[in-house]
Amino acid sequence: MDRARLMLLVVALAGAAALPWIGGPFWTGLATQMMIFGLLALSVDLLLGHAGLFSLTHASFFAVSAYTVAILQVRYGWPTLAAAPAGILLGTALAALFGISVRTRGVYFILITIALGYVVWGIAHRWSSFTGGDNGVTNVPFPAVGPLAVTSHTQYYYVVLAAVILCGLGYRVLIRSPFGLGLRGVKASETRMQSLGYRTGLHIYVAFVLSGALASFAGVLYVYYNKFVNPVAASFPVSVEAALMAIVGGTGTIVGPFLGAGVVLGLRNWVSSFVEMHHAIMGAVFIATVLWAPQGLVGIAARVRARLKGRDG
Amino acid sequence: MAEHALAVVNLGKLFGGLAAVDGVSLNVATGERRVLIGPNGAGKTTLFHCVTGTLKPSSGQVSLFGRDVTRLAEHRRTALGMGRTFQITNVFPDLTLGENLALAIVGTDRRKWVVHRPAETFEEVRRQALEGLARVGLEGRAQLPAKLVSYGERRQLELALALNTGPKVLFLDEPCAGLSPAERQRISQMIADLPRSMTLLMIEHDMDVALGLADRVTVLHRGRVILEGTPQEVRANPQVRDVYFGHA
Amino acid sequence: MTSAILQAINGVSLAALLFLLASGFTLSFGLMRVVNMAHGAYYLIGGYVGLSIAEHTGSFALALAGGGAAVALGGFFIDRFLIRRTGENHLAQVLLTVGVAFVIGDVALQIWGGDNLMVPAPQQLKGAVVLPGGIYYPKYRFILIFLGVFVGIALWLLYKKTQIGAVVRAGVDDREQVNATGINVDRLFVMVSALASFLAGLAGVAGGAFLTLYPGAEWEILVYALVVVIVGGLGSLEGAMIGALIVGLLDAYGRWLLPEFSYFVLFGPIALLMIFRPRGLFGREH
Repeated sequence: MDRARLMLLVVALAGAAALPWIGGPFWTGLATQMMIFGLLALSVDLLLGHAGLFSLTHASFFAVSAYTVAILQVRYGWPTLAAAPAGILLGTALAALFGISVRTRGVYFILITIALGYVVWGIAHRWSSFTGGDNGVTNVPFPAVGPLAVTSHTQYYYVVLAAVILCGLGYRVLIRSPFGLGLRGVKASETRMQSLGYRTGLHIYVAFVLSGALASFAGVLYVYYNKFVNPVAASFPVSVEAALMAIVGGTGTIVGPFLGAGVVLGLRNWVSSFVEMHHAIMGAVFIATVLWAPQGLVGIAARVRARLKGRDG
Repeated sequence: MAEHALAVVNLGKLFGGLAAVDGVSLNVATGERRVLIGPNGAGKTTLFHCVTGTLKPSSGQVSLFGRDVTRLAEHRRTALGMGRTFQITNVFPDLTLGENLALAIVGTDRRKWVVHRPAETFEEVRRQALEGLARVGLEGRAQLPAKLVSYGERRQLELALALNTGPKVLFLDEPCAGLSPAERQRISQMIADLPRSMTLLMIEHDMDVALGLADRVTVLHRGRVILEGTPQEVRANPQVRDVYFGHA
Repeated sequence: MTSAILQAINGVSLAALLFLLASGFTLSFGLMRVVNMAHGAYYLIGGYVGLSIAEHTGSFALALAGGGAAVALGGFFIDRFLIRRTGENHLAQVLLTVGVAFVIGDVALQIWGGDNLMVPAPQQLKGAVVLPGGIYYPKYRFILIFLGVFVGIALWLLYKKTQIGAVVRAGVDDREQVNATGINVDRLFVMVSALASFLAGLAGVAGGAFLTLYPGAEWEILVYALVVVIVGGLGSLEGAMIGALIVGLLDAYGRWLLPEFSYFVLFGPIALLMIFRPRGLFGREH
């Protein structure tokens, strides 16, 4: 089984490395987006899949970081090496502020995060003298570190691929660490965790900030790919679609959010080539996921595998 | 005053207008084994919740080894040496028994904040977890998820979780609830075998188990203490027979 | 000074509208534990239906009734065939009803287009009233305040003085009690859900006559309603009233004093509540 997994991983990596030659610009672009939004979905899933909290404000961190990078690079001429960390820092600082929402649980947490997300969208939208209003900030260059500069979308694809692999590995360590185990403990039983000596509120708060940092990183990758950022990046649909991606793929896993991002983005791309109503299609995906595939693709795969195994034995 | 492990003074807990616990005072000496008995609804579990910090008492005071802990959060009390089990099994069903124990072991120290290293690479924790499981008769079960073991084994795990936070005062809320007579026998033997240095407070319905383990017994009825004494005194008391044995 | 007074009336009239929307949201949560994120979409589609009715018949009253009724009917089917299937899983409810809202929003876009549309208010409600001190104020907004107060009183009487209300209140405190009263719970749920949908549709028509209707309006108004509910406490009618006033006034003064950060003004009360009363002013444990 483990060998099969390793094989799968090698094939996937080889495929990912070869994609620009096989698929051309269209598929390379889609794959880049899938990785970026998959990373955002993964950040949402740190809370959803591990701590059991459904955040709908992650577009805020994503967008604040993207705006920071865009404004610093375009308007103030900062280099990538300064602008990108500044973006992550500011996005994370916002997460540290919005983290007070972990004082609530369940429905309250969901509703409060929606409202907080709207505050950020509202500022991006209304404070046009600074954020550029609905047009946002345009002409963001590709990232460059000293003499090393990205000059094409294909090159940038590899940058994102490398970044996502590193994040995936780091995330894997995080969720297996005592801290990550603690999150799963809180999800299962907060009362028990408290009686074992955990300050559960703080535990979740730290997870919220870490998750915000990851979303901020996704925002940095996004703005360099997209070349511009506008209030749409901060909007509620981005937050809720990130959650959907995690759920469609399978929560509590690492590949799930990326698979989910692939499905959602691929579907939207395909559908919008022949109908206008892509929001309605997305809505239908939400409804279908809830009614028929609440465990996501990874869950379906596990069920199929279990059934096959059952037949063998 | 002799050092009390636990001192509860005039503790009250209101739900709505109803007093679930009504002015309870208790002193438990270090190393003592105290059993709380009383009919259903007597307020035993609520008293436990208030003492361990799961609920906030409406009035009164709780001290642990002379230190006022009434306002302390539950996790702080655990750090000071309170450990507890729950009447309704409260373990982590999706985690393995080993992981369950690991959570208890690192819960009271700083290792719970480690993010850069997988939990299974902590050799010391692993060893302690295996020992902790063996101590409650769960050897060889470390890799199984808690939801896949029997109810009786989950009760043993419940006890193991409380034992592995390093408690000086252990609160056991009906550790034998829902178990078969044979399993009861096992668990009460485990409790009896605990080191005498550990102070024990236990809620128990089974009178034989209760009176067999207890140094002293406190009888609760309608949120109040109606009697406190040795097992012999309690068994002989007509009032206790009335409110307690009368129901059985 | 005059502006401050004007803003106060603006705030109260917005509060009236928000109350129409938030009361339904909070009651369906209180009784059925349903979180319906499509509530904003109900508002928008109700407004659009009312707009079409008003354009065809010229009657604003018919538009109000028709917009409300159309949403109540649609809401019934959505509740019965979709939301009911999620049980009490709030995560599933939120995702599902967001999906429903996306579908409704897109359908509305196809039918009514992407422009800002306004429900025509009847002639006798147009124009301004003169307040003491020589302040002119749109008459329609006063009517809206009256509508909000009227619905508020009606709901309050229904809630506190009737047997149905007693059952609903019992349900908010303790679900088991409702089953124990022997009342047909299913029918009660349908009624409350229909009432909530009706109020949302009604709000859409009433609001569409001064805030205008456009794609995306469903989410903006929903967020305001959510803040009302968060501030007031989920499941509490009094909370929805007080919350609506707080949010309405804060928004009006925010737009006036800090136009670029008016959304940020909403953040204040939420943050304070989270620190001091995480369950809202009138919230209970759920």
